[in-house]
Amino acid sequence: MSELPDGAADLAFDGHELHAGAGPGRRFMIDARCVQGTPVHGAYAHVCALPDASAMLEFDQPEVQQVRRDALAWWIGMLGDALVCLTTLALDESCYGGAITVTREPADWRADPFARIFPGTVVRTDLFCPVTPPPGPVLERYAGVAWPGGRF
Amino acid sequence: MKLEPGRPFPDLDLPDHTGRQRRLSEIAGGDPVALLFSRGWWCPKEQRHLREVTALQDEFEVAYARIIVVSIDAPEVQAAFRAGLGARFVFLSDGERRWLERLALLEATDTVHRPYRPTAFTLHPDLTIHAVYDGYWYWGRPTAEDLRRDMRAIARAVRDDFDRA
Repeated sequence: MSELPDGAADLAFDGHELHAGAGPGRRFMIDARCVQGTPVHGAYAHVCALPDASAMLEFDQPEVQQVRRDALAWWIGMLGDALVCLTTLALDESCYGGAITVTREPADWRADPFARIFPGTVVRTDLFCPVTPPPGPVLERYAGVAWPGGRF
Repeated sequence: MKLEPGRPFPDLDLPDHTGRQRRLSEIAGGDPVALLFSRGWWCPKEQRHLREVTALQDEFEVAYARIIVVSIDAPEVQAAFRAGLGARFVFLSDGERRWLERLALLEATDTVHRPYRPTAFTLHPDLTIHAVYDGYWYWGRPTAEDLRRDMRAIARAVRDDFDRA
């Protein structure tokens, strides 16, 4: 994985736990805003990703576009005030490795649109802080930062 | 407050369709914006026009531009209307008519609802007004082609690499 672009942060997932920075497990890039504020202790992270390095798709694949459209259309609204933040998990400028939705309380994870691509694991975590949910759009920016982060 | 091309549009602060407090600049997020003031869900002209706008949302998303709708409807009403349209863009709720009065966009002929006069603005990412459309009469509203033309002009002005020839 290349050097982190501005606006990105490292996160590792070993299939059971999340680790800030280059911890044990598979390394992903997330929207850095999700870990730059005051963290919500004991939050629930629904990690829709796998530690297996082969679990990846291109961001431009229609199914990846559609799950983010579903997130904008109803997933964020359904979570309401329980939502802390969400971020996709980028592997590089073009490859999607999954997504994480973080909430203050357990949610109906069966409805998580991101779980249609990679299955979800619920992880208790103190890593994430509140970030205003995204208004769109659903495409990655030139900078390659995980959605919803990134700008021209 | 003069809302004319070349002048800055105020940075609205209003709750969105989920009830979260938002700012116009934050939603714009560095992209061109089509900002639509709408009477409300009950108006058949708004329903028709917003269906046309919703049909454009795929283009706005892939082209890094934003659609934002403002009305006096309550957030939960906007959320239901938005879901019915199949829209993914943000609705802002001005139920208290706080910005309606400051912007002087009251539709004076509807004394029952006291809604916004249908008005559309296309904005640069820094909220500078590019064009204004008075939609009191339906034909005054921006068509899909009007919005494409404005987004193209704004993108050409703000994206350094728009004309690569």
